[in-house]
Amino acid sequence: MAETSEAKASTSPPGGDAGGEEDKRDERMLECNICLDTARDAVVSMCGHLFCWPCLHQWLETRPSRQVCPVCKAAISRDKVIPLYGRGNTKQEDPRNKRTEPENTSAFPGFSFGDGFHMSFGIGAFPFGVFTSTFNFGDSRPSAAPRGTAQYDEEQFLSKIFLWVAILFVLWLVFA
Amino acid sequence: MAAMSPSERRLQKELMSLMKEPPPGVTVDGDQASQNLTLWTVHMEGVPGTLYEGEKFVLQFKFTNKYPFDSPEVTFIGNNIPVHPHVYSNGHICLSILTDDWSPALSVQSVCLSIVSMLKTTAGQFVLC
Ligand SMILES: [Zn+2]
Ligand SMILES: [Zn+2]
Repeated sequence: MAETSEAKASTSPPGGDAGGEEDKRDERMLECNICLDTARDAVVSMCGHLFCWPCLHQWLETRPSRQVCPVCKAAISRDKVIPLYGRGNTKQEDPRNKRTEPENTSAFPGFSFGDGFHMSFGIGAFPFGVFTSTFNFGDSRPSAAPRGTAQYDEEQFLSKIFLWVAILFVLWLVFA
Repeated sequence: MAAMSPSERRLQKELMSLMKEPPPGVTVDGDQASQNLTLWTVHMEGVPGTLYEGEKFVLQFKFTNKYPFDSPEVTFIGNNIPVHPHVYSNGHICLSILTDDWSPALSVQSVCLSIVSMLKTTAGQFVLC
C-alpha cells in the first residue's frame, strides 16, 4: 500500500500510463466532495454523493435553512444520509452519533443498561420477560440506526416505562 | 511546518491540481499562492473568438479560514478590468456562485470556468444584478 502511493507521488507525468490513470480515478471516486481527501466517517446522500460526515455536517450547519447537496443541489438532511461501513471498520459506529452530538453518546449507555436488565429479568418473571423482549425485537431493532432521532428518543422513553412496569411487577410478585 | 488546517489542506490540494491541469487560458501564480494560501492571483486570457480575444486579465482570490464552507472573494484586479455587464469597473464580479449559490463542492477551477463562460456571453444569458 505505502509503496504504491509513494511511487505514484514521485512519478507524476501529465500523461502517465493508462494503469496509473485508472488507479487515480478509482481513488478519486472515494474522495469527499468537500475536503477532497479520502472520505472518513463516510456517508452517502440519497442522490449518491459521498462526503465525510464531519464535512457534510459543517455544511448543513452553515446553511440550516437551505440544506442542499453541495454537488447536485438535491435536498439533503441528517436523517437522509447513509453511513458507509468498509471492511476495515469493525466498530460500525454511526458517524452521525460521534462527538458532533454529545448528548447522544451519554444517552447510549443508559439504553444498553436498560436492555441488559430486560434480559436478566426475563429469567425471573418469565411471562413478562417474553413480552418485553418481543417488544424489543419487533420494534426497536429495525430502527436502531437513526439514533438521536425523535423516534429513538421515544423508543428509549418506552423502554424506560417498561423497565419501571417490570420493577413494579417484581415488587408485586414479592409482596403479594 | 505546522499541521495544516482543513481549509489550508484543501487549498493546497486545489493549488496542486490547478498548477498541474489548468483550464485553457488560466494560470495560477503558484509561488505566491504557496507562500500565502489565503490569497491567490490567477491570470486569465481572453477567449479567442470573443470580444476579449488577446486581452489579459488578473483575478484575485481571497479565502477565509472557513473555506470551502465560505465562498472565496473573487475580483478582477490591475488596470485591465473586462468591460462586461456583470463586472463592475472596480473589478467586482456579479456571479451567483460567488454568493448565494456557492457550494463547498465548487473550487477555484470551477469558479475560473464560470468566469470564462460568463465572459463568452453578453447580457441576456445571465440574470442581471
Ligand atoms: Zn471531507
Ligand atoms: Zn447530490
